[in-house]
Amino acid sequence: MTAPSSAGVGAPDPSVGAARADGRAIAERRVRDRAPGEPRRVAYLYLLPALLFYVIFAFGPLLYTAWLSFFDWNGLTVGEWAGLDNYREVLSDESIRSSFVHSLVLIFFYAIVPVLLGLVLASVIAHARVRGVTAFRAILFLPQTIATVVVAIAWTWIYAPNGPLNEALDAVGLDSVSRGWLGDFTWALPALGLVGTWVMFGLAIVLFLAGIQKIPVTLYEAARVDGAGRFREFLAVTLPGLRGELAVALTITTIFALRTFDLIYVSTSGGPGTSTTVPSFLVYQNAFANGRVGLAACIAVVLTALIFVVAFAITKLVDRDPMQ
Amino acid sequence: MRRGWLRAALPLTLAIAIAACGGTPGEDNPNTDENSDTSSAEVKTDGFESLGDVTLKVVSSEGSGGPRDAIKELTKQFEAKYPNVTVDVQFRDFASWIKQARLVAAGDDPPDVFAGNQGYQLDGELVKAGLILPLDKYADAYGWTDSFTPETLQQFMWSEDGSTFGEGNLYGVAQTGQSVGVFANKEKLDAAGVDPANLKTFDDFQDALATLRDSLPADEPVIALGNKDQYGAIHLWGGIQGAYTPAQDVRDWIFHKEGATFDTPGNLESLQVLKQWADDGYLGQGDSFNSRNDSDAAIAFGKGEGALMIGGNWNAATARDGLGENAIFFDMPPGESGDAVAIGSASVPIHISSKSKQPDLAAAYIDFITGPDASQALVDTAQVPAATDATAEPTDGLGKGVKAGWDLLVEDGGLTLYPDWSSPTMLTTMGQTFQEMLAGRIPPEEVVSKTQEDWEKYNAQLSEG
Repeated sequence: MTAPSSAGVGAPDPSVGAARADGRAIAERRVRDRAPGEPRRVAYLYLLPALLFYVIFAFGPLLYTAWLSFFDWNGLTVGEWAGLDNYREVLSDESIRSSFVHSLVLIFFYAIVPVLLGLVLASVIAHARVRGVTAFRAILFLPQTIATVVVAIAWTWIYAPNGPLNEALDAVGLDSVSRGWLGDFTWALPALGLVGTWVMFGLAIVLFLAGIQKIPVTLYEAARVDGAGRFREFLAVTLPGLRGELAVALTITTIFALRTFDLIYVSTSGGPGTSTTVPSFLVYQNAFANGRVGLAACIAVVLTALIFVVAFAITKLVDRDPMQ
Repeated sequence: MRRGWLRAALPLTLAIAIAACGGTPGEDNPNTDENSDTSSAEVKTDGFESLGDVTLKVVSSEGSGGPRDAIKELTKQFEAKYPNVTVDVQFRDFASWIKQARLVAAGDDPPDVFAGNQGYQLDGELVKAGLILPLDKYADAYGWTDSFTPETLQQFMWSEDGSTFGEGNLYGVAQTGQSVGVFANKEKLDAAGVDPANLKTFDDFQDALATLRDSLPADEPVIALGNKDQYGAIHLWGGIQGAYTPAQDVRDWIFHKEGATFDTPGNLESLQVLKQWADDGYLGQGDSFNSRNDSDAAIAFGKGEGALMIGGNWNAATARDGLGENAIFFDMPPGESGDAVAIGSASVPIHISSKSKQPDLAAAYIDFITGPDASQALVDTAQVPAATDATAEPTDGLGKGVKAGWDLLVEDGGLTLYPDWSSPTMLTTMGQTFQEMLAGRIPPEEVVSKTQEDWEKYNAQLSEG
């Protein structure tokens, strides 16, 4: 171990205290050399263990996946260098491209709808004195705490041809509407999307409720004095005050939509036809069922890049301080 | 700004260089096995008591119904025969096991005995990677070549590099004969005035479908189908295909014989018939049968849904549990050729891992659950033993029907095997296009062209070596 005088980033230098008795002069010279709180090189040493873990378990596999994406490999025997062939296939293959389109549809249901609904409901709840808001909030948040596989099994049952949803529709005379929702080419994807809305809605509303409580009441009072109605108040005070929460909610829900796998795997396996395939499912299908690990790795790389770009764009667009 | 890019580019280049140290994937996997010695000299077929306490790890893909019960029963008997041997059997769902099997087999501690699947998707890859043992010496020792027909054994034969299917070393044996045929609910046939004994030709069968359609309530399908896992409709179509295409042509195509093609008038016509059945409402609503899988459909049929189910005879125990004596089974009536033709084969091959430390014991277990002595447990669960020297005979109506159906197919040389064996991606390709066709999103012609395209792509790979 190094001497206690080599403190971490930004921490108050303990050497000042520890060395008070015998080395005050040395300590003072140190302080004079560098502005207080300025990082020191030794800080990297402290970061090293975490960095090592990160490189070995996250960055390394990512790089190796990228490397595999240049091969034609079945996962068992010796692979063959394929150059950019896999990338060409990802861009040109219609079924792979349509899986990315399905992801966009899912983003609508997983991110846009819950965030919009969450904003509206949170701003209403926050200012109306409703009894039992805590219980309401807890119930809405509940889907977040359930494993997705369980969610998928439950909803498969709800959507089944003779499941509760169709029975309810039949009971009110909507026999013409009822169907096996997950077996229908048109409705399977929206039906899965609504499951995502159900899961994500609670998260959004809890985030926004917390955010609204943080907005100074004086701002609302000022808006009232200026004669703003409920809607203007929402636009002028609530929305700008929730920028941070909005960015977090959008990022989490969008990433969840893009990497969704378990829900699809359990409920539809990408079917009927290819109407609910998403990139992460194709990664699984190509790597394990079809023995095309290179192509699977390539789809994974493209998906990772896409998630990175989308997350980056959301932070850039939404999470800007309005004062700047 | 330029500097910023440079600083980003440097680590990236470094990263790629590091990743490249990963080398060519798969190059350190051995494609050789020390146990490939084919002489029968040192094969041990008994005296396993002297091994002391040993555990044999087994993975079976018979995840449900009668087949699972049979394996459980036979395993118990094997353990009773050798009290020092513990057999640890794990059951997996077939559809997910065929996707995991390669990785499990390639792992450091794979099961000694595990189920594979005929064809290029799984067995071909396992052989190519040297992960399973050739069993020829055990075949000699246990007389498997006499017990099983050449057609059965052919399904488990591969050249050592896994490129030629249907000849070479023997890599497994199977428990039962599995064929796709017609399950019928006798009560419903009687109500409609359809006598199964009068269904002599495929045309008779189609007429019966129309009669049954009129007799059943409009919202009840004539044929109970489950196509969520995308193979139910393929099996159903196999029953139609047999009326239009000789079995040998189908097999040649699966084995990638020269000149074989899927693009034939017979295949197109049979797909059109399937589409017609869907349009005529014989199969029920697409969103319904796409919402459940094959075994769910068998359960629904057992509960009285539909008059018919065209599916694998592995569903027999499920149908019998539900309908009792009312469940009957027969082969799809033949087309103009007069020969019974249907999708069918021996059940999945049972392999020995090339990493097994107890290959002799593993072979003894395989012989025990597939050989003549296993037949009682198989017959009890309404299955047909694949071994021809099986001693037990079925006594109930459904079991007799299943056995008669299988025997007739063997006699007529009418088992077409499974079309998805023909390439690693064929199950995905056919499964998806069949669903699209049944929903009216693509014409039967496109199913033919996409299927043939997939086949040709793999055919080119095979001939490249």
